[in-house]
Amino acid sequence: MPLPIKPEARSKQETASAALVAQYSGACMIVLLLATICWGLLPLTGYLFSALVFLMAIVLAGTRWNRGPVILMAVMCALVWNFIYIPPRFTLHIARLEDAVMFVLFFVVALSMGHLIARLREREEALERHHQEREALLAEKHRANLLAESERLHRTLLDSVSHELKTPIAIIRTALDGLREGDPYATEIATATRRLQRIVDSFLEMTRVESEALTPRPDWCEVSDILQAATTPLEPELRDHPISLTGMEGMPLLRLDSRLLAQALGNVLHNSTVHAPPGSPIEVHAAIKQVQLGQGEVELTVHDHGPGLTPEAARQVFDKFYRAPDAPAGGTGLGLAIARGLVRALQGDITAGNHPEGGALFTVRLPVQIHQTPS
Amino acid sequence: MSKAVIIDDEIQIRRLLRMVLEARGYEVSEAAEGTTGLQEIAFRRPDVVLLDLGLPGLGGLEVLKRLREWSEVPVLILSVRDQEAVKVEALESGADDYVTKPFGTAELLVRLTVIQRRRFTRQSPHVTAGPLTLDLLHHEATLHGEQLKLTPLEFALLKILTEHAGRIITQKQIIDHLWPTQTSDASEGLRVHISHLRRKLGPTGPRLINEPGIGYRLVDE
Repeated sequence: MPLPIKPEARSKQETASAALVAQYSGACMIVLLLATICWGLLPLTGYLFSALVFLMAIVLAGTRWNRGPVILMAVMCALVWNFIYIPPRFTLHIARLEDAVMFVLFFVVALSMGHLIARLREREEALERHHQEREALLAEKHRANLLAESERLHRTLLDSVSHELKTPIAIIRTALDGLREGDPYATEIATATRRLQRIVDSFLEMTRVESEALTPRPDWCEVSDILQAATTPLEPELRDHPISLTGMEGMPLLRLDSRLLAQALGNVLHNSTVHAPPGSPIEVHAAIKQVQLGQGEVELTVHDHGPGLTPEAARQVFDKFYRAPDAPAGGTGLGLAIARGLVRALQGDITAGNHPEGGALFTVRLPVQIHQTPS
Repeated sequence: MSKAVIIDDEIQIRRLLRMVLEARGYEVSEAAEGTTGLQEIAFRRPDVVLLDLGLPGLGGLEVLKRLREWSEVPVLILSVRDQEAVKVEALESGADDYVTKPFGTAELLVRLTVIQRRRFTRQSPHVTAGPLTLDLLHHEATLHGEQLKLTPLEFALLKILTEHAGRIITQKQIIDHLWPTQTSDASEGLRVHISHLRRKLGPTGPRLINEPGIGYRLVDE
């Protein structure tokens, strides 16, 4: 069955065959033209001159044309030369032995000339094509190298900045432990250090999220582990906010990058601890929806009992550096932007709104693989 | 008196750690880079080593690998966040546990004490962690004096976690221990058994804490 030819391929083919037709007719015309000219010059030059003229024409044609027209031209030249110029004229008969040998030699030379030159040209074209492909490949490789290099530089820079910023904070933090317990000055330094650490972490994390250096490494995990990992670093902030977890009992194992999700959830929880009044609870609920066997969606909601979000805030709360007008001092406006970056890296989405009973409601939805064996 | 060697390129971290450890009665020596650190360990024969992963020159991981060629001294890794892959590699290359900078001194001291408990020198066929006791002779586990019904695999899992009570143990270490011949991804099976074990240990037993991307830690408190 013939393969369907794509339109552009067909038009290309048509152009090529049109050029071929032009070359064949050109070959005939040139042979006729040269034959006429040589006929005119015959009294001055003798019949060997015309053989040389024909040979030159074949060589020149070989440098421009395809093999077919050139061979045709060689055959035509040989026949025309024999018919018109070799005595006895206007017969294909050759009387003298030298003329016969010369005719055969002419024929062989013309043919092999046409053939050789055409082959040479094909080689040249192949070489040129090869060269172009090589150039393209090299350029591609160069671009890839540049990209990798810039990524590596970015990574190194981030690592070293991260190290330089975090080390002094670590030193202050460890040194504080050595101070007298309950010293009010030490407590102030400790609070400020935590805040500073949070800012540094946020900036570094935002850079990481934006540089797309986040590659999720999914593994099976329990939702309770994710919550545990999200809340442990927030222990001091969560002391004022009892957390209630629902929906996690008996939930099957899920396959996702728990570290990224825990970080995202931690940022959402931290946001709630900042905006909700001390003592108010934060409710975290988890649910899964199985779409097909083994595949589904996990939904995590964080509901706080703060003032909730204005329509403007609900629209912009995930924007970088957005801070609600009533937000207490000390935030960077990056926490929720990072959370969204992380969730998106996991192919999910996060939305913000208000709970019908009041307070802000954040919803994270992620596609996940769901473990099948009943536990 | 316990001896400790600190290998960290930050002089302030070394000074602080020295103060913290000396206050706890450790005899401390320090090194700013890997090669001298290894010499210090060979020379002092310490009871514990604190090793920074981000050393210039000979990196922390390389120091650890060279050290493990001739010494079994307990090693605590000092690392920064977002180094999970390196941490796992360090733990699998023979480090005993890690703390993440910035760390509190209380956490540091707990980790140091735990990793100094001699490994694998058991005097009795019983292993305990808080209210949990494992009888290795009869393959029985009791929690608050009541016997737990465990499958052989759950018992093996609980055993390795209890033997390393308080210490991190990587997912790969557990899997290699439970399914030595397994070549495919066994993390799924491990999660299932961990989840069953947690249910059987209940809210009063020791907790099996997951550290995302790294492994598990059995904590009894």
